[in-house]
Amino acid sequence: MSTALLQELHQELRRLYIAGSDLALGDYRLKRILPQFQQLGERSPIFKRLGEGITALIEPADTQSYQSAEQLQDLGLLLTSVLRTQGTTAPQGDLRSIPNRPVSLSTYLSYRKLAAVEEALSTTGSNRYEVVVQAFEEGMFRDLRLLDPAVRALQDPYSEIAEFAMQKILPAYGAEVVPYLIDGFNPMGGRVESRKLHVIGQVGGEEVLDLIFQAAESGSEEVRVTAIRLLAPHSSYEPALLSWTKDKKKSIREAAYQALATIKTDTAVERIYEAFAGKDIEIAAEAAAKCNAEELTVRFVRDLSTEIQQAPVYKDDKKKAEASCIKMKHYLTALEGKRSDALYEVFAEVTRQYAFFISYAGLDLLDAAAYYFEQDNSLDALKNLHILEQHNTRYLSHAFRSSFRQLTPSQLYEHYVHSVRNKWKMKTNKETQKKLQQFISIIEQQVISYPYQSYANLWSSQEETSLLRKVELMPAEQVAQQWDVRWLDWLIEVDAAHLVCVFTRPGHTVSQSFMVEKLQGMKELRHQSIEVLLLGLERAEVDVSIRWEMLMNLLEHKRNSSFYVFEGHLLEYLYQLPFAFQDRLAAIMPNYRYTAREQLQYVWNTMEDKKQEAYAIDSV
Amino acid sequence: MIEITSSYVDSLASNNAAMKNAQGLVKKRSFVQLNQSEDGTLLFAECKGSGSSNYQCSADFIQPDKPILRCSCPSRQLPCKHALGLLYAYVGGEAFTSAAVPDDITAKREKAEKREEQKLKQAVDGEPKPKKVNKTALKKKIQSQLEGLDVLEKFIQSLVRNGLGTIDKKVIKTMQEHVKQMGNYYLTGAQTELRRLTLLLSEAEDREQVYTDVVEQLAIMHAFIKKGRTYLTNKLADPALALDHESTIEEWLGHAWQLTDLKEYGLMKEQAELVQLAFVSYDDPARQEYVDEGFWLEQDSGEIHRTLQYRPYKAAKLMREEDSFFDATRIPSLYRYPGDANRRVRWEEMAARPLDPHEVARMSIHAQRSYADVIKKVKNQLKNPLSDANPVVLLHVAEVLLSSQDEVVITDEAGQHLVLQDQATAGHRALPLLTHLSASQLEDVSMLVRFEHDMDTGRLTAMPLTILKDAEMIRLLY
Repeated sequence: MSTALLQELHQELRRLYIAGSDLALGDYRLKRILPQFQQLGERSPIFKRLGEGITALIEPADTQSYQSAEQLQDLGLLLTSVLRTQGTTAPQGDLRSIPNRPVSLSTYLSYRKLAAVEEALSTTGSNRYEVVVQAFEEGMFRDLRLLDPAVRALQDPYSEIAEFAMQKILPAYGAEVVPYLIDGFNPMGGRVESRKLHVIGQVGGEEVLDLIFQAAESGSEEVRVTAIRLLAPHSSYEPALLSWTKDKKKSIREAAYQALATIKTDTAVERIYEAFAGKDIEIAAEAAAKCNAEELTVRFVRDLSTEIQQAPVYKDDKKKAEASCIKMKHYLTALEGKRSDALYEVFAEVTRQYAFFISYAGLDLLDAAAYYFEQDNSLDALKNLHILEQHNTRYLSHAFRSSFRQLTPSQLYEHYVHSVRNKWKMKTNKETQKKLQQFISIIEQQVISYPYQSYANLWSSQEETSLLRKVELMPAEQVAQQWDVRWLDWLIEVDAAHLVCVFTRPGHTVSQSFMVEKLQGMKELRHQSIEVLLLGLERAEVDVSIRWEMLMNLLEHKRNSSFYVFEGHLLEYLYQLPFAFQDRLAAIMPNYRYTAREQLQYVWNTMEDKKQEAYAIDSV
Repeated sequence: MIEITSSYVDSLASNNAAMKNAQGLVKKRSFVQLNQSEDGTLLFAECKGSGSSNYQCSADFIQPDKPILRCSCPSRQLPCKHALGLLYAYVGGEAFTSAAVPDDITAKREKAEKREEQKLKQAVDGEPKPKKVNKTALKKKIQSQLEGLDVLEKFIQSLVRNGLGTIDKKVIKTMQEHVKQMGNYYLTGAQTELRRLTLLLSEAEDREQVYTDVVEQLAIMHAFIKKGRTYLTNKLADPALALDHESTIEEWLGHAWQLTDLKEYGLMKEQAELVQLAFVSYDDPARQEYVDEGFWLEQDSGEIHRTLQYRPYKAAKLMREEDSFFDATRIPSLYRYPGDANRRVRWEEMAARPLDPHEVARMSIHAQRSYADVIKKVKNQLKNPLSDANPVVLLHVAEVLLSSQDEVVITDEAGQHLVLQDQATAGHRALPLLTHLSASQLEDVSMLVRFEHDMDTGRLTAMPLTILKDAEMIRLLY
């Protein structure tokens, strides 16, 4: 059968459908191919029928009842049927075996599970990240059909998903995934290619090192940076890394220095050190900070020490002084977290000449010294810290923390309160007051924390939880052990309400009445102090009925109508409220809105339940 | 003893979210008390929920193939997450303590039993009451349908006469109005096809690319109008004429088959064993429905059947979304729709059991070994414009090759070739997955494929859906 002729007719009819069957009458192109159909029709009935159809369309015998559309539709239908039996199934060209790189994955997921993940990875919209993460945790990416979507996820517009695919999903496939990534890897590409390379390097092993090296040599800037980082653990690439520190692009040099910091060979260390003499001092310093080669530390300490010693000489030459300060700053960066006796000596020297160096180099140098001493944990370092704290309250916190660790409770008290008691009393001195507030807040950080805790939403839905803030005081036993008893009286003296709550003890009446008075002065529930004070009263073992009454008074205060939610201990106290307060609670509930209202309602409901139970027991 | 698998429980859930929530309840240990009746036919439990008291949920397996899931929660979703969670807890091996059947369940069981008896009684006494057909009403309906076909034909002819090139926004609007009208003539099938035509023309970015499809669609509609008219005219002359249970014309006209009708025409088969080979779910905007389509192998005959579930957009949220099914199913009564290859099937009851790996291996004997024969049959079916244009066949594949034009080609033992191609209508790509398979998974295997004829290129190609290799089933779709 002449398929070509049929196809030609199909094209002609398609043209007529588009142009309109009204134009079919006498169509010359159809007329031209008609004889071929008539000729073939002598042998084949199908072609005969098609020929007749064409004739009826273009040269109707009966023009009166001629309906061009119907004729065209009839012919079109016949041709469609015929063509559908003529489909070719043979392939084009030579055949060869199909290239395949098998992976050990199966297709075990059902449609509903699979489609949810596929949708998350192929659309945009909210909640996609959660779906993907959960799918990964359930091992769903072990399904063959998610391999391609996982690779495509590297280019997801939501970068969290792309990063997750790079860091978790793809590495989990192991070496199997590498050939696919290499297949689609274009070293000249941007962020997506850099992510691909990252995965290749992570799971590819020794075999892909050459590819990574090529990418580091000739890829796009972003790909090169990733490639250089990936080469870092392999010291055989040292010569190349050294050459990249001379690259034109800063990001390449930066990556190269970072990589050298990892391999730590003598030459690598030498190059980082050399860079301090040039324009790359900043990126080299950051790389050096990550390098723990002994040799490098020794050299930097030596150089820093030289700068320190030269300082009095440079003092009058503004330019030289400035350059020296910048250098010192980079040395400090490079020496972050490093320790040596020589370095200690440098910082001790700086501390001794506090006045000079604060004006010469600013705070950076002294901050580094204070940090170093605090980490040192020796009495000698503590002495230096005490010198620093005398010069500047900025260092009070370093000194206090170190003192707290090293001094006995009474020594600590003596140093910070007793010996300077009169000084603290100078209420008129603004500077002293500021220092006092700072001191109190340093102690507060030591003994009070404000963690978040998840609470079941008893008031709305038990299955859900909310993260609510609560207050945690240092436990009373620990206070008794680590702090001198004299602190309490002094804290009352300086009106440090929160700390009084921590340091109070049962039977200490002065502190009890101090706290009661403070709490009575409180009006708004959203002040965190209320929670601290209630905890303090509990610690001081103040009679529970007084505490309930005070809490109730607060609840009844009119200012609290816009209070949003009861948190932490405040909520826990509410739960414990005896049902004697039920009526008073009912009276104030209408004043509250939002979650607070639901919480009060829940408390009221539980009271009602308890009351019913109590009645039931009574009646028995 | 109740024998269920977790995939069976999955299959009971209405959607993915319900599964997740139900499993969440088990994980969060929300079930307070897990009980099982002494005879092992009932699972019941209390589950913590957001209400003040616990929900009472139960799963009644008194009829093992038709469990009844009950719950006291107010959810409109059936089954709710609590009842599903109960089953997941059971499958997951949680400890169930033995207890007496609660009174309310006993009462409900009795009621159900009575209902069942009543049904049985009706079935025995009433020997399906001869359906009363209101002849005047039927005549009126047929007349209206004929009228509708005339309207449709006239409209289509006006489109053809003026040419597809002249169809602009205004014409599209008239087309949409006609789509609505078809509903008034009891012609839902015609409505769907006209909407398909309208969507083809209105949604194409480049008309030139869809003209071939449009022309084909016009031909199909022409065939439908002609066949429909002949059929309806005959029926009008003799309203007592039975439904046409051989061809698909009833469905084209919008008839929804009742199971009792199918049984009456001898289209019910008893005790069939089916295994699902492939599944896909898609959105059909022409039908205004989501379609869940499954392909099943009947283990005795080797026939490939098709399950179709339509979920209208408006009701989609409340309806169960079908899912891939991995167990073997035994179906007491399998109802088959009229049609050619891959007939649509339905059932009301079924029992599932885990699929034995040997069974998978045995299914390969049903794979067609001669492509020449298959292609002949396929073409024969395609010749009829009103038949299903995408027949699905299980083929034996000797090897998978690649042509120099990068076409994937399968070969039978006689060396006959068939080009594989992903089908745009499916919206999925199966071919790229082939490169992830090992050589042995592509050699001497069985492959479920779906055919498609492309009018533009004049080629008949097939899309691979599933591969069977020994005891392994690799589903390329779902």
